[in-house]
Amino acid sequence: MDPEHIRNFSIIAHIDHGKSTLADRILERTGTVAERDMAPQLLDSMELERERGITIKAQAVRLTWTYEGEDYELNLIDTPGHVDFTYEVSRALAACEGALLVIDAAQGVEAQTLANLYLAMEHDLTVIPVINKIDLPNAEVERVREELIEVGIDGTEALAVSAKKGIGIDEVLAAVVSKVPPPRGPRGSPLRALIFDSRFDSYKGVLVFIRVVDGSVAVGDRIRFMSTAKEFEVSEVGVFRPGLTPIGQLQAGEVGYVAAAIKTVEDTRVGDTITQANHPASEALPGYRPAQPMVFSGLYPVDSSDYGRLREALEKLKLNDAALVFEPETSAALGFGFRAGFLGLLHLEVVQERLEREYDLTLITTAPNVVYEVMLVGGRVVHVDNPAMMPVAGDIQSILEPVVESSIITPSEYIGAVMELAQERRGEYVGLTYLDPKRAMLSYRLPLGEIMFDFFDQLKSRTHGYASFDYQPSGMSAADLVKMDILLNGEPVDALSTIVHRDRAYAKGKALAAKLKDLIPRQMFEVPIQAAIGSKVIARETVRALRKDVLAKCYGGDITRKRKLLEKQKEGKRRMKSVGSVDIPQEAFMAILRVEDA
Amino acid sequence: MSGEADLGAWGVYVHVPFCPRRCTYCDFAVVVGKRPSDELAYVDALVREWQSRILPQGEPHAVYLGGGTPSKLSAPMVERILGAICQRTGGLGTEVTLEVNPETVDQERLQAFRQAGVTRLSIGAQALQDHHLRAMHRGHRAQDIGRTVDWAKSAGFASISLDAIYGWPGQRFDEWQATIQGLIRLEPDHLSLYQLQIEPHTALYRKVRSGEMLPVESDLVADMSDWAGDELSRFGYDRYEISSYAHPGHEGRMNRLYWTMNPYVGIGMAAHSFDGTRRWWNVPHFGEYIERTALRQDPRADGEALQRLDLMREYSWLGLRTVEGFSRDRFQRRFGEDALTVFRPVWEQLQRQGLVQWDAERIRLSARGLDLANQVMAALIDAEAHKSPETDHV
Repeated sequence: MDPEHIRNFSIIAHIDHGKSTLADRILERTGTVAERDMAPQLLDSMELERERGITIKAQAVRLTWTYEGEDYELNLIDTPGHVDFTYEVSRALAACEGALLVIDAAQGVEAQTLANLYLAMEHDLTVIPVINKIDLPNAEVERVREELIEVGIDGTEALAVSAKKGIGIDEVLAAVVSKVPPPRGPRGSPLRALIFDSRFDSYKGVLVFIRVVDGSVAVGDRIRFMSTAKEFEVSEVGVFRPGLTPIGQLQAGEVGYVAAAIKTVEDTRVGDTITQANHPASEALPGYRPAQPMVFSGLYPVDSSDYGRLREALEKLKLNDAALVFEPETSAALGFGFRAGFLGLLHLEVVQERLEREYDLTLITTAPNVVYEVMLVGGRVVHVDNPAMMPVAGDIQSILEPVVESSIITPSEYIGAVMELAQERRGEYVGLTYLDPKRAMLSYRLPLGEIMFDFFDQLKSRTHGYASFDYQPSGMSAADLVKMDILLNGEPVDALSTIVHRDRAYAKGKALAAKLKDLIPRQMFEVPIQAAIGSKVIARETVRALRKDVLAKCYGGDITRKRKLLEKQKEGKRRMKSVGSVDIPQEAFMAILRVEDA
Repeated sequence: MSGEADLGAWGVYVHVPFCPRRCTYCDFAVVVGKRPSDELAYVDALVREWQSRILPQGEPHAVYLGGGTPSKLSAPMVERILGAICQRTGGLGTEVTLEVNPETVDQERLQAFRQAGVTRLSIGAQALQDHHLRAMHRGHRAQDIGRTVDWAKSAGFASISLDAIYGWPGQRFDEWQATIQGLIRLEPDHLSLYQLQIEPHTALYRKVRSGEMLPVESDLVADMSDWAGDELSRFGYDRYEISSYAHPGHEGRMNRLYWTMNPYVGIGMAAHSFDGTRRWWNVPHFGEYIERTALRQDPRADGEALQRLDLMREYSWLGLRTVEGFSRDRFQRRFGEDALTVFRPVWEQLQRQGLVQWDAERIRLSARGLDLANQVMAALIDAEAHKSPETDHV
């Protein structure tokens, strides 16, 4: 199609502002999906995504729309809706010329609204603000318009819609055609196509989602991935309508997929550029960076004989999740398992849930941690992604930890509470701006390791649910950190070691020991719990020995019932991990996440 | 105490589901609000079931009327049940127990039960504080208990047992002491002390879950149990089983049959039976039980056949319920193997943990093992048999 009649756009929004519902309505209105075939939130295809209301993978759909008598091809690229996937969002936006910025008419501008808006502006996208949920009784369209002006977009032009009720959808489509510019670029030059996502298909191999920027790609072409120099022969080229629809070729300006018998998504890195092998472009498209895991955690099967199954499951997930990295790890306490790296906590939770749900594994997940850069005495630098592997204190010259730039939007009456929280988490104040008289945005530099410890829950609870939060990585920063070990029954349990700030070590140690005391059931003998830094014990608790464990009366000879109770008791024990002679429940390994400083 | 019953000894359990009210902790198969005509119909059903049952040889070793509240039946009904049993077996054995709720009896009725052939009463005292009895939804009060024991003694029962519950929400240590001391003063022959178990689907469970009642802290429960054991021993009661204490010669015979894996014939709704290798149980619904027996249909709900290995496991963990444990010789006579050899790795592990001990004659729980009996039993329920030629065939 003539590029003048193509529009590539995405929908961006704060979570729950109605992005997926608007996408559903657009699909319906353009006849891409008949109403009777609609599963709510069609674009969120994975079960977990639908349950959590969060898009994890990007999706792209080609729509056809007639505007003022002419047919247009609209490519809607849905973006992941979580801070863990900011890089993926940025690549999806790079594939577009415009974006619909959806804002909840009752909630107004939130932290992710801004984060997404700034990303879109970085990519020079035309932003069309859409105020959604105008049907709500507490909708305040005018207030939202003012907030938009405050953050630098023309709120007076914002469209007022209700995706749920189908109000204003035609106006949204008209704005996409009339305001979003058509794609530009020389059609004849060597092929350059941006990969913005990929998905494994068991029949076709990896489907690579691309935006063709220059040139064209067709079935039979030999293509090269510029970052890895790997080459493949294209077996299929197509678009999503929303099902896979093969077409002969994709031209500059178009969005679609290619398949080329690629076996793993690892070869198709988001942000990479595809070119022709025999007529390559000299320069890749800008902006590529390899996936960078930010959060690490140990994954261990409760039943050690499941190790092989866990490896197979991780390998299968990896086929479709290039950001997941893992390598074998051995823990003195937990045996054989894997250290896995994730984009963030949500990514970790999703992987963990899929392993347990889809692969029927019972796992111990150790508390997540960030990667530390440790400068050793003598100048060598090591990266530590497992607290248990932290070098001994005497060998360390300094430790750097990852930090993030965060923005928190809150009603102004909670500014004090938010500042208090940020300070507790070692935040460095950057600035405060008011969006309107009642709402403000606070900026803080925060250690990534600190926001993993229920920061978001705390933020929500201290602001009665009103604050929103977004962040992006912002390099490394030195901090006075120490490794805290936990000893059970006198034996260090490596999987319970954590890295904490020295000033907080006592409070954390005390709180963690107390929490573990609650979580570890009484055993046949007394179990001392100690928190220690080096050889110095900083906190101590004791799980007293189990005193009585008997079943009462055998009622009327009902031995079967008695046996079932014993079996149930035994099953509970099986779900625990035996470390030394102490049975530890799964939750205990995550206890540090639920510890509040005393 | 004397050794275990002969391998062939058997018992009869009669389930009487009628209750004047449901106690808040109870999840047993009971019915409330039935009329005397329902009781008559039920006794008919019991007799009909009894007559259709295949019985082991000879007289039963013990008969037990449990519930529910068997003392809610009239004496003629009890007489009719015992008569039917006697008619087919030629006797009732040496112990015929009736469970008694003090709310349901007076001197006359107790005398009549004695006349009908009951030799032993198991009286549900539960507590000596009226506010706890009320919270349990018991219909009697503390003073009724002493009176009931006096009547029972004057009626000439050979053995009297009292039940009490500890770990009741809100129960204080001194209240429990008062209960035990008060019960000892009544000079029963036997006492059963039950640690409260909060079962799902009970009123108590809902109250605890909603926070209306607070469960007793586990250390306090353990203190209650330990103190009561010491106190009873001071007054000459031997602990012969995890939750039972008796003057010598007054150990409950029926319960012991369960621990020695002897057969028992259970009749009545929800009653359990065991024939030496198979267990089964009757339908738990009153109407359905009556209907099935009336139509001469099988009242069984379900059952299970135990394989040889299962039987050896159960024999082991059930046998450990008694303080003196079980006889290796009796096990050998029953299964043709030595219990210690069959499960040696498990026994050795339990011994290392200080939970069991043995000698040439018997395997038993240690003092610590009696406290942690579940840990021992859980280790035995799926114990692997040490490979021996006999374990392969059933």
